[in-house]
Amino acid sequence: MDWSTAAPAISAAFLASTVEVVEAFTIILAVATLRSWKPALIGTFAALAVLGAIIVVLGPLLDRVPIHYLQLFIGVLLLMFGMGWLRKASLRASGVIALHDEDAIFARESSAFEKEAGVSETSLDWLAGIASFKAVLLEGLEVVFIVIAVGAGRGLLWPAAMGALAACAVVLAIGVVIRKPLSRVPENTLKFGVGVMLSAFGVFWTGEGLGIDWPGGDLALLYFAAAFLATGLFAAYLTRTSKPEVKA
Amino acid sequence: MSILTEVFSDLIGMFIADARMSAAILVLVAAVAALLNYGVTTPILGGAILLAGCLLLIIVSTLQAARKAR
Repeated sequence: MDWSTAAPAISAAFLASTVEVVEAFTIILAVATLRSWKPALIGTFAALAVLGAIIVVLGPLLDRVPIHYLQLFIGVLLLMFGMGWLRKASLRASGVIALHDEDAIFARESSAFEKEAGVSETSLDWLAGIASFKAVLLEGLEVVFIVIAVGAGRGLLWPAAMGALAACAVVLAIGVVIRKPLSRVPENTLKFGVGVMLSAFGVFWTGEGLGIDWPGGDLALLYFAAAFLATGLFAAYLTRTSKPEVKA
Repeated sequence: MSILTEVFSDLIGMFIADARMSAAILVLVAAVAALLNYGVTTPILGGAILLAGCLLLIIVSTLQAARKAR
């Protein structure tokens, strides 16, 4: 394994997955606190099973796509996804849009769930399970895409998947210990970093897919990341307001 | 059914949170592909255009979004 390519892929998968798992964990915790862990865990495992099935179906298909087409396709998707994250993170950093607040999301999810209190016990369990299922499925799909996107172009699916699994393990371990929303995670800083890395991968794969041999080979990823970081910070500087507002 | 709809709309939203920026990315990639395909530019210059175009798009799109939000 070439670490100059593997390290950015693993760290991108780890950081992006940390953000997504924190978001999913907040909703699971809200459901488990207000109802019980049983429906929360049933919903979570059902979603993980669906995600597993998607990976089992998609994995072998990826091997059949010619590498240049795969790089181009994934590269363009990464540009859309990564630049979208970077733009949003710049807007949050500059105070134009509100920062993500896990405590506020926890409170909102809890209040929405409490409104259903008049419903029967079975329905409440069902609603709790569905809420966990949706949270894990939606956030998990983003993790699956990121792992495929940063790993598939160079046969680094397993290292990228290990990065994502490590993020799940770290977030869940901390979550189980503190049993509160992980509001101290510097989510926007992570999103900024992930946006930078995904955009860098996007340019790299798109270029490779178009037949461009980047000077310096895989090291070009680092130059691209530096360029996107500087641009994201510059965009935040250009659009900054007084102080970032904090809202869900 | 509503779960499926939500999942699909979220999936689409992952890639086209800003429709104009997504369309601009597609146009940029297509333009670079055309330049390379017709031999108008060298691969390295094509790569530089792709990178510079993406960086410019981030700035323009962020400025537009900020203007719209205020």
